[in-house]
Amino acid sequence: MIGTGIKRGTAELAILSVLEEGPLHGYEMARRIEEQTKGALRFTLAALYPMLYRMEQRGWIRGAWETSQSGRRKRCYRLTPAGKKKLSPLRKEWAELFGALKRLTKVAHA
Amino acid sequence: MPDWRELVSKGLSGLKLGAGEKEEVHAELAAHLEETYKALRARGLPEQAAIQQTLAQVADWQDLRRKIQIARTVKENIMNDRVRQLWLPGLLTFALSMGLLELVQKFGPRPMALDLDKGTPMVMFYTSWLLTLPLAGAIGALLSKRAGGSPRILAISSVFPVLPFGVVFLIAIPAGLLMSHTLAHHIVATAFLTMMFGWVLVPGVALFSGGLLVQLLSRRSNSLDVTMN
Repeated sequence: MIGTGIKRGTAELAILSVLEEGPLHGYEMARRIEEQTKGALRFTLAALYPMLYRMEQRGWIRGAWETSQSGRRKRCYRLTPAGKKKLSPLRKEWAELFGALKRLTKVAHA
Repeated sequence: MPDWRELVSKGLSGLKLGAGEKEEVHAELAAHLEETYKALRARGLPEQAAIQQTLAQVADWQDLRRKIQIARTVKENIMNDRVRQLWLPGLLTFALSMGLLELVQKFGPRPMALDLDKGTPMVMFYTSWLLTLPLAGAIGALLSKRAGGSPRILAISSVFPVLPFGVVFLIAIPAGLLMSHTLAHHIVATAFLTMMFGWVLVPGVALFSGGLLVQLLSRRSNSLDVTMN
């Protein structure tokens, strides 16, 4: 079972990465993450919004209501400068972690 | 199609937020459920199956309510990264090094005097203080590292105690030159060099060496600094 810390870390990285491409609302964010990870990462509503609200409290993302062309109001999230700054070291940390795990599993199978 | 807004409102009843904020949360979550439902229907799912799959987005409404409550009300990051990584370690290092200087001045051996030019201010070298500074620098770097500081921030945190002196000398002495024409320029220049050497450069190197040691040791240990909170 994957620990909460690791799950939260990967989720934060996924959200920040997908928002780097541009502002998105929650549903579209979940859809993009699922699509871009070929289904490996899936966010349910229950997992996504507490995470978004927490990241907003930390100042990494900012949500604002916007009205689409069809007249529907949606809360769109975008990266803040603090979020952009967070992304780079977060990516590096996870690349290091996955690199280490890869090396470890290779050794284990050798 | 169910009234998603009503459903969310019921599921999250008891959520302790301001009225406007609560409405926003309800509206946002209801919009998400509605989009999920519509996407499932567009894929050809029958209505009941689409509703069931949409409702499966939330397995436990009470748990969701609790998580939203915490996420929207608890300021878990009162101190931002800059405060934790730079200002706090830096100020602690500053306080520690000044405290050590005070102790050395009161109880330590007599300082060595450096007089570059007769008639200009002398610098008193508190050798025993300088010897303790690598420890202070190492503590600053360590605190910064624990807060996730980058190598650059670690270095700044470790030499933080000398930065105020550097800034003061860089501003005060040129300002003195500009404001007072009675000061001999060669005396001021010598005083500037003496002060910079004695209060910035030498203590800075001592502090930096401690910070550098922390950086080198942490690289050697090859630890992964992934936050698992």
